[in-house]
Amino acid sequence: MTKGKKRNELLYFAFRNTKLKIGLGVVLFFIVLTFVGPLIAKYNPTDSVGPAGAPPSAQFWFGTTTFGEDVFSQFVHGLSSTFLVGIVGGGLGTILGMTIGFAAGYRGGNLDEVLNVLTNVVLTIPVLALLVVISAYVKVRGVMIESLFIGVTTWPWAARAIRAQTFSLKTRDFVDLARLSGESPVKIIFTEIAPNMASYLFMTFILMFGSAILTAATLDFLGLGPTQGISLGTMMNLAVLWSALMLGMWWWFIPPGIGITAIVGGLYIMNVGLDEIFNPKLREM
Amino acid sequence: MRKSTFLILSFLIVMSMVLAACAPAAVATPITITSAPQVVKETQVVTQVVPATPAPVPLTYARNETLYTSGTQWGPPSSWNPFNGGGYAMGTIGLVYETLYIYDPLADKFIPWLAAQDMKWVDPTTLEIKLRDGITWTDGTPLTADDVLFTYKLADPNGDFKAGLNFAGLYNFLSSIDKVDNLTVDFKFKANPAYQEVGFYLWQTPIVQAASWSKLDVKDITGGANENGIGSGPYLFESHDQDRQVLVRNDNWWGIKAFGKTPGPKRIVDIVNGSNNVALGLVLQGGLDLSNNFLPGVATLVKGGYGVQTYYPEAPYMLSANVAALIINEQIKPLDDVNFRKAMAYAINTDDIVQTAYTGIVKAADPTGLLPIWDKYVDQDMVAKYGWSYDPAKAKQILADAGYKDVNNDKFVENKDGSPIALEVTCPSGWTDWMASIQIISKNAQAVGINMTPAYPDYGPWRDAQLKGTFQLSIQNESQMSSTPWSYYKWVFQNPIANIATAQYGNYGRYDNPKAFDLVNQLNQVKVGDDAAIKAITSQLQEITLTEYPTIPLWYNGLWSQVSNAVWTNWPSSADSANHYLPASWRGYWNMTGIEMLLDLKPAAAQ
Amino acid sequence: MAKYFRRKLLIYLLTFIIAVTVDWCIPRFMPGNPVDLIISRAGLKGSAVSQMYTFYMQAFGLDQPIWKQYLNFWIAIFHGDLGTSIFLFPSPVTKVILGAVPYDLALLIPAILTSWFAGNNFGAFAARSKRLDNTLLPLGYILTGTPYMWLGIVLAWAFGIAWRIFPIAGGYSFAMRPALTLPFIWSLFQHWFLPFASLFIVQFGGWAIGMRNLIIYELEADYSHYLAALGAPKRLVRKYAFQNAMLPQLTGLALQLGVIVAGALATEVVFSYPGIGYLILQAIHNEDYFLLQGCFLFVVIGVLLANFIIDITYVIVDPRTRAGMQGGAS
Repeated sequence: MTKGKKRNELLYFAFRNTKLKIGLGVVLFFIVLTFVGPLIAKYNPTDSVGPAGAPPSAQFWFGTTTFGEDVFSQFVHGLSSTFLVGIVGGGLGTILGMTIGFAAGYRGGNLDEVLNVLTNVVLTIPVLALLVVISAYVKVRGVMIESLFIGVTTWPWAARAIRAQTFSLKTRDFVDLARLSGESPVKIIFTEIAPNMASYLFMTFILMFGSAILTAATLDFLGLGPTQGISLGTMMNLAVLWSALMLGMWWWFIPPGIGITAIVGGLYIMNVGLDEIFNPKLREM
Repeated sequence: MRKSTFLILSFLIVMSMVLAACAPAAVATPITITSAPQVVKETQVVTQVVPATPAPVPLTYARNETLYTSGTQWGPPSSWNPFNGGGYAMGTIGLVYETLYIYDPLADKFIPWLAAQDMKWVDPTTLEIKLRDGITWTDGTPLTADDVLFTYKLADPNGDFKAGLNFAGLYNFLSSIDKVDNLTVDFKFKANPAYQEVGFYLWQTPIVQAASWSKLDVKDITGGANENGIGSGPYLFESHDQDRQVLVRNDNWWGIKAFGKTPGPKRIVDIVNGSNNVALGLVLQGGLDLSNNFLPGVATLVKGGYGVQTYYPEAPYMLSANVAALIINEQIKPLDDVNFRKAMAYAINTDDIVQTAYTGIVKAADPTGLLPIWDKYVDQDMVAKYGWSYDPAKAKQILADAGYKDVNNDKFVENKDGSPIALEVTCPSGWTDWMASIQIISKNAQAVGINMTPAYPDYGPWRDAQLKGTFQLSIQNESQMSSTPWSYYKWVFQNPIANIATAQYGNYGRYDNPKAFDLVNQLNQVKVGDDAAIKAITSQLQEITLTEYPTIPLWYNGLWSQVSNAVWTNWPSSADSANHYLPASWRGYWNMTGIEMLLDLKPAAAQ
Repeated sequence: MAKYFRRKLLIYLLTFIIAVTVDWCIPRFMPGNPVDLIISRAGLKGSAVSQMYTFYMQAFGLDQPIWKQYLNFWIAIFHGDLGTSIFLFPSPVTKVILGAVPYDLALLIPAILTSWFAGNNFGAFAARSKRLDNTLLPLGYILTGTPYMWLGIVLAWAFGIAWRIFPIAGGYSFAMRPALTLPFIWSLFQHWFLPFASLFIVQFGGWAIGMRNLIIYELEADYSHYLAALGAPKRLVRKYAFQNAMLPQLTGLALQLGVIVAGALATEVVFSYPGIGYLILQAIHNEDYFLLQGCFLFVVIGVLLANFIIDITYVIVDPRTRAGMQGGAS
């Protein structure tokens, strides 16, 4: 089986896989909305532009908040910080996880021991409790800082998984061959090992992406998120603080939750779809 | 396999439920112990006074005998010490411990409480307090002049305890306290005592029992939890848990005979509230009779047939409890320039804050900053002459005239020396109404060319910046309604400047004006009730605040109060037929007629 | 096996030391002075302020050299003395937390166990059943993507306000005194149910999906095909698959603990349910370092203990570990 043929086969299954299509469709929809939304949203998200607490209408698609802000504008603007947290937080987590996982898995020995202990320590300390403490240190917080916190504290899960994979790959023939030809460990990892688990790494990233969004939403909801700017989490937080649901303003509270659920759920469904494509055994019969 | 799994599972669930069930029971164990002696005490009292059998504590409180309150307690009850000013459990002062007088801010009247008669100055430096006869502590012993003497002497800097209590300031002008007879105490002052401040302490200082408190050391007096303390008031602490504090009526309370009224509710359950959202939910469920939480959208509730009532049936719905002002750090450029401050005053659209951030449940402040209860002191001519209102064009004009110009064409004015201005206005993160307000303030400022942005630090750093004087602009509302406008001006003009951090009450912007400071002292020395003299001095102070802008009063925060008529009726309201007490359970408000509200509450069925 | 446990214990010990150190740092490197805050909250004035200041500085040991403060902290921990809460002055932190912990346990233990067992069983059931796989499992994905607190508030609104089936705040009825009677236990249950349900629902989805994927992996493994070829009944094959898939799910549980605890904290806030969640939040907003320290320490100890229990279970369940597997991929 040549590489080209294999790729074709993967694409064939990718197009046939409903899970991937649905998941990807949902995520793409929100990504497009993130970029197009601000163009079609008529208002500045923090401007009081309409009557207070108006239900959805032709003018205000998602209604307005207690302060007369347009919920739709807030929603599409909030999406971008949500994706930013996913990409930066999830990305950083994956990169750290990869670095530590590769190093531990490929090198083994004492380095592995030390990194393993480190991983276990970070794994055991409850991330949210730690994030809560760190968040309290920084007086004025932005989305970037929040993403960094999340990235720095969520890598252990990825590191473990990648370490195990690297461990099994490093004994393969092609890796031995590369080692014999005198290539540096870094080069071997990036040219031989990483490509062979590319699908795995990609799926790891997707999971980290989703969990970063959820973690950020929890922090935002507790009022420990960004003190500047708007995200789906802070929208939820404000909607709760102003008792939106209790006062019948469901249009303020429901969309951010649906948004987060759809994005994260979509990512997970997409992930299972990818899993089925890369692992023929999992495909539906 | 599956069967055993479910067996283990159900076992674990049952176990954890039992754990949960036992936990509160464990918490309650000391409570049962604590309430037991009280029952014994009651029987003792009972044998002395009226023969009756003490009822055992029921497991479920009857709804029509119980008042549910919330809005004071933000964490599990932890202190029952009336001297722990900011942290005592709901009702400690007012319901359990009592003061010599209570103060009625709406009628501007001192009402004798433990004291038998109005304040009586025998001569300009001697105040005679006569106690009511027949007041007893809950252990049955009489409350006498010795208790009053003991309480006030706790703070004596040359006394046995030297406790740094709230009323320690009294000793700046007190020369001695003497017991005349068993029910009479004479306060002897040095020349020109601060009558206003003395009056203030008389309705704020809880009287404690000499016999039990004299055994404590100073650490426990100022900072002890005082869990099973003996009070004299209409209620006793019965039990508490993580999320509630229960008080039970003291059926031997002296006031039942003295006033001919018995407090309506047999029990008061004060609910610890995590969030206003939950408080609103409880109100909607009918689980709260008196909610002193800030509930957004209350206008909807009052109009929407939810059975929710506020003091006023129309906007602003709430009484005004304190003034929220923009506080300004006068130590930094350009805020040290009175013209710049004046421009800010004209730039801010207070009505927009009232309507948008508060949906109309607060009132815009008078430019003098004096609360509506002090309306009679407002010098209307002065306000007409110097008062301001929202006028962006004028704000721009003032800036231009004062030499603030946009040099670098960024749409914002620069300092006179050409350096850019970038101001930050702060409020604690999560204080949503204020967050919305400072957003409006910054937008207003930007509209007239002042570069101002809102920031929301956590409470701690925010408070620190005020104490250290490192903030730029912020909102504060510490000055509450009280028996004297002196407390407001003391807050605006707190001095000396070096002591701002330790005084912890006002003038965080370090506004320095010896003339104003002197006037505040003069105001303090006016006799209680001498309105003409108060007016003469406050008029001069108003001129200073109206022309110097040490702070910019913005709006009056409300005495948030949502009551339900479902179980209890006859709540205070602005209606002519109703009583005009303060519908509040907050600390410091029971002794501002809140307790009288309880005396007038009637069960709904009885009407 | 002894070596395996020694290793694990070493890691736990190290984690504990690091966590305690982080914990110790909390008040000392935060902006602001906790003592100033106590005094401001006590509403003291004039000379009383400086008097109290010295008193509290000594009481909290903030006037001692740093190394000594660190040493004292360790000593204090082993005495169960976590200082005095500022927000709930003058309650000792240990007392405050012990009052809250039973509620946390009552919420967490059943939620974790039931969702794990139910999720796994359902996932195993749904695997390879095309109808369930395409109808109910997508629901699982959506549930795992749902923020706990959002779901909690929706539940509170629907069942508490709209339908009035369940109460929305408190640990038990505000009209009751704790007693071991049926009505009281029923009240406890009612107040417990919604917070529990929102935790259960979200976690259930996650475990179900995980199990479904693992079962499919196992069913496609060589041993399953071999068993099937030998004519073993389908039920038996699935039983083996289920047992093998339990192990990674057990590891997954250990990995998820931190996240679950975080979710529980948020849920408690939503339902005003007494517990550490609300305390942590108030401690942060009030700069109550001592309470924050205490809560953090308790959460860490709790998670460490749970991890340890899972490790022991793992050894009992997995014959390979029993036979002397030494860490490896775990």
